This record gives sequence, structure tokens and C-alpha cells, in this order.
Amino acid sequence: MDLWSVSYDLTNLLVDIVNFFIYGLGWLIPGSIGEAFDSLGDWLASPGVMRIFTILMEIILLIVVALLNVVTLIWIERKLLARFWDFRGPFYVGPLGYFQNFADGLKFFLKQIITPIKADKFSYFIAPVIFIGSSILILGTIPIGPEFGITDEGTPVPGSVILAFAIFAVAPFSILVAGWAENNKFTLIGGMRSAAQMMSYEIPLLLSVASVIVLAGSFSFVDVVEAQADMWYAVPLFIGFLVFLVCIVAEVERIPFDLPEAEAELVEGWTTEYSGMRFGFFMMTEYVRGYAGCAIAAALFLGGWNGPAIIPDEFWFLIKAYMVFVIFVWIRASLPRIRTDQILDLGWKRLLPLAMLNLVIAVVLKTLGVF
Amino acid sequence: MADKICDRPRREKVSFTGMVLKPMLTTLTQFVRCSLRGRPNTILYPRERQVLPPRYRGKHLLSFTKCIGCGQCVDICPNDCMWMKKIVDPELGKIERPGVDYARCLFCGFCVEICPTDALIMTSEYELSSYDREGMAFEPESLRKDDIVVHEPKQSIKVPAVDFDKCTGKEQCAKVCPVQCIRMVDVDKTGKRMPVIDLTICTQCGKCAEVCPEKAIEMREKLVVMFERPLPVLELEKCTGCGACFRACPSQVIYMAEMPGTEKTLAGGKKGKPKKRAVFALEKCVGCSRCANACRFDALSMVPESKLTSAGKGDAGKKGAGKK
Repeated sequence: MDLWSVSYDLTNLLVDIVNFFIYGLGWLIPGSIGEAFDSLGDWLASPGVMRIFTILMEIILLIVVALLNVVTLIWIERKLLARFWDFRGPFYVGPLGYFQNFADGLKFFLKQIITPIKADKFSYFIAPVIFIGSSILILGTIPIGPEFGITDEGTPVPGSVILAFAIFAVAPFSILVAGWAENNKFTLIGGMRSAAQMMSYEIPLLLSVASVIVLAGSFSFVDVVEAQADMWYAVPLFIGFLVFLVCIVAEVERIPFDLPEAEAELVEGWTTEYSGMRFGFFMMTEYVRGYAGCAIAAALFLGGWNGPAIIPDEFWFLIKAYMVFVIFVWIRASLPRIRTDQILDLGWKRLLPLAMLNLVIAVVLKTLGVF
Repeated sequence: MADKICDRPRREKVSFTGMVLKPMLTTLTQFVRCSLRGRPNTILYPRERQVLPPRYRGKHLLSFTKCIGCGQCVDICPNDCMWMKKIVDPELGKIERPGVDYARCLFCGFCVEICPTDALIMTSEYELSSYDREGMAFEPESLRKDDIVVHEPKQSIKVPAVDFDKCTGKEQCAKVCPVQCIRMVDVDKTGKRMPVIDLTICTQCGKCAEVCPEKAIEMREKLVVMFERPLPVLELEKCTGCGACFRACPSQVIYMAEMPGTEKTLAGGKKGKPKKRAVFALEKCVGCSRCANACRFDALSMVPESKLTSAGKGDAGKKGAGKK
């Protein structure tokens, strides 16, 4: 499916509908005001404005699709966790409990939003905006299919891999701000842990991504995926794939690396003082980040949308992302949360040398001309 | 040297296999097992219900016809959640039956265990919730079911029950008893003798009941209760013969016997009625201590059966302070 043409047609339709009224007003109102309406309609239909609106439409469509996947992922996680732990999971709402997430979201909407008296109001308000906004922005950078991504008249975004990871790394900052602004010891510890955790996983993560970029020779997701048409990068860069998986779990703050919101020790960590739909958005955003992590893993290491042409490319991509997420759920069902010093140990003493080794392998492979 | 600088106890090293791979294998096994069975371990409660074992301890059922209203269930309840309610029943007349407050009940089953007539059972009904606290207190009428099926009946023995009113003290029973468990004991101040049966020796043969010329002994079914039974001991000096214990007794253990020679001389020179005293046929006693509670003159005290036997039932009679 060509996202550009679809969204161009949609934008065209919308602009036509709007212009029908604008031109109608121009026809009804005589004089210079009517001519102004006519020229407004002309401006809306001009190619440059249409291009900007089409890109906006693309972003909306891509994020809607991604959010649908996020809802499905939450449902998959709840069902799979239930099976891993021998219970049933959501059951009553909708087929197989699929709409349980919507029911939970509705419940969050009904709850009162409380702002603590001692909180720093501005930071308290701005932190979730940064967190949620940056997380949803990641979704816009990841193309689901060869043509189902943000493109400018068919030209994909250059450097989207770098952009995705840059946006990914914004969230710990907002967590630290939130933890500070809430003025509560649990939230502060949670925010500090988030910063400490970022120290440990970010470097091996980016090193393993760098090896992929070395092999692919491009910063764009589309080019990286096209370069894997013959062989997935998970095969030559197996070490890097493992390092990437561990780091991406830490990046999206899932168990066993959910130190900032360790329920057993820190109540709810940095989200303790947030209530109502703000908390609901936090929960949803964690899964948005989870989906983004899975999609990036699928695109960088598992060949993205490459696959036999039995089903559309987009479905290949989603299947791979879902498989990575199943591994996430499996890890969550099995492993206990690790301590802060352990994650620093892990990041600096284990993952960093492995990532360096992986980078060396990538460079050697590239130099020998294998890729 | 380097080891001694650090005082912390050394952590036991856990390998990657033990830390990561084994737990993941465990959950995977669980997943596969759960998926193959097609049904997780949980039960969708409102839709499905667990089949509960017959011995499950849930809501009580009370047979009004079996219950003798002795109130031992109320006495033994550790949470004090039962009470006796006075009811006027069209068939049974004025009776007392226990009700249960399920807000406090801990479902220990002591009340069922101590019931001397198997009138109280526990069913597997567990949905007892209510919108207010009063709704948790179940009146005896709501527990009533006269034809209850007792899943686990208590062991029943046959005991010779002496009817003191009929007994003439002819010692036929004591003579015929093959194990010589019957002793004839003088009942103080009444001038009568009555048989006392040692139930620990008794073989339940029933010969005493056959031989009794007045049919004063009948073989009666009695359930063996696991709890130790306290028995009433009478202090004859304090007894006024008022008969409160006689009226309180739920199992016809007590007989009021006249004491000849205690008649008062009335104004006209006539002799009045003689004083009475309580006489206990303890074979039938269920140990409910209603008589002791009913006595307003502190003449009755409840003594555990084992202590009474060690002191000797006859001894209490000889001292005159005792029983019988």
C-alpha cells in the first residue's frame, strides 16, 4: 500500500470538501471579500500546501495504525502472560477480551486527576507531555512497509534510524523531570534510577545499531531493510542482535529492567503521583515504546518487511515485530527485576565489550566486502 | 588481602543459566502445558463453579426435629458467632435453636463436631455475602432443613438409659450385667437406689434393659462426640429442689425426687409436701451445662468427665456433695 498516494487522495478529498464551502462563500459574497475567499481556496489547493497537508495526513495514518498495533500488543501481552502464569487473562469484554484495554482506558477517564500541592506545577504538567509526545513521535519514524512510511512524494525520510534513537533517548529526561517535579521520595528515586539506567544501556544499544548502519551503509530504515533482502542482519551480527534485544528492553523500561517504576520498592516509581488518565497515558505510552522497540528490532535485524510474497509486506513486518514482542513478554514472565548496580555491571562490563566486538565483526565483514 | 577489606558477605554467584535460562525454560514449559491442556488452571467463577468436596465447610443446615436445643454449638463457638433464638414453632412448640452470624464465623466446624444429635451440618454453599451486616446473621429459620443428609455421621453407641421415676432399685440389672458395669448407688436422702452404669466398660449388650421388671432401662442411641463432656455435680446442701435444672435439661437427664422426712409441719398439724432434690441419670447427659446455668443457687457445677471418673463417681455420692 502506498501511504503517500492514499494520504494524498484523502487530503485532496478533504481540501475539496473545504473548498466547496470556501468557493461557495466567495460566490455568495460579492466584492473584494468574495475574491479573498476565492484566493484562499486557490491557496489551499496549491501544490506546496497540499504537500504539507499530505505529510500531516501520512503521520496521522501511520500513528493510528501503530496505535492499533499497540492496543493489540497490550492484549497479546495480557493473554500471553496469563498463559505463562497459568491463568486466563482478559476474558469478558469483546471477543477473547480484546476490548478490555478500551474498558480500562474508559475507567481511567472516569478517575479524578489530582495534582499534589507540593508539586512543581509546570514541570509536573510538562513531563508527561514530553514523555508521551516523544514516544508517539517515534512511531512516525518507523515505516511499516516499503511504501507505508513517512515519505515526501515517495522519498523516504533520510536518517530516520538516527532520528528514532534520538527521540527514544528523550524520555529518560522527562522521567527525571517528572520524578523531581512530583516532590516525592519514591518518584525522585525513580527518576534518578532512570538516569542511571540510561547511562548503562544507551551506549551498547547505539553501538549495536552502529554495526547495522555500517553494514547497510545508510541511516534510513528503508535502505537498511532493503539491504537485508538476502540475509537478515541477525545472522552475521548475532551478538549485536542479543545486545540490542537486552538494551531495547532496558530502553522501553520493561521487566526485568523496569527500575524507575519498581512496584515492589517504589510504589509506582516516577508515576506514583500521577492519577487518572495521565497515568493511563503513561501505561499506554510504555506499550507505545514497546511497540516501537519491537518494530525497530524487526527492521534493523530481522529483515523488516522482506519475506515471501504470500502476504503483503506490511504484515511480514508486523509479524516479526509481534514475534519480538512475544520474546519481551516471555522475558517479563520469567525474570526478576535486577538491581541498579547490576544493570550498571551488565551494561558496562558485559554488553559494552560485546557491542564493541560486534562492531568489529561488522567492520571486518564490510571491509572484506561480504556485504 | 583484597577479600578481607570488604566485610560484606560474598554473594553466591548465579550463573547466566541459572539466572536467565532456567526461569525462561520454566515459564515456557508452563506455557506449553497450559496451551496443550487448552484450559488454564483458573475457574471462571460466575460461569463455572468448582465441584466442592462433600466435607467442604460452608453454610450450616439445621434439622429442627433432630436438634434438642442444648446450645453446645453456641458455647463452643470460638468466635462467639452463634446465638440461641427462642422460637414458637407450630409443630415443635417453644424451642430454642441456634442462628449463625457469618460475618464472624470462621467455619471451624466445632459446632457440627460437638452436636450430640447430628442436627447441624455444613454444606458446600459458600455464597453468603450480603449488602449489610445484619444480612450476614442468619436466623435459625433460614438454616432450617429437617431432612438433612449427614455425610459423615458420628459413631453411635447404644447406652442403657435409666428412668429414675420408674426405677425401684431391685438390682436385677446389676445382677445380669455380664461385665459388671452396673453399680447400685444410694441416692442420698431419698432412700432409693439406682443403677449407675460405667460406660467405659459397658458392652451395649442390652441385657439390663431386657431384665428390668419396670422397663426403667431402655437402650438409647447416643452419638460419640470428640470433645470431652463436662458432667454436672450437685452440692446437695445448696439444692432447694426448685426444678430449674429439670426444666432446662434438653435430654431428660434430671429427675426430681422427693426426700422423705423433710416435710414441714403445717399450721393444722398436717404434713406438707416433702422437699425435692435433683437426681441425674448421667448416661443420657450430653454435657451441655444448661442445668448449671439454670441453677440460681450455685448448687451445680460442671466437671470434666475425666476428672469425675478419676475421683470416682461413687465417691461423690458418698460424700454427699456429689452427683447423682
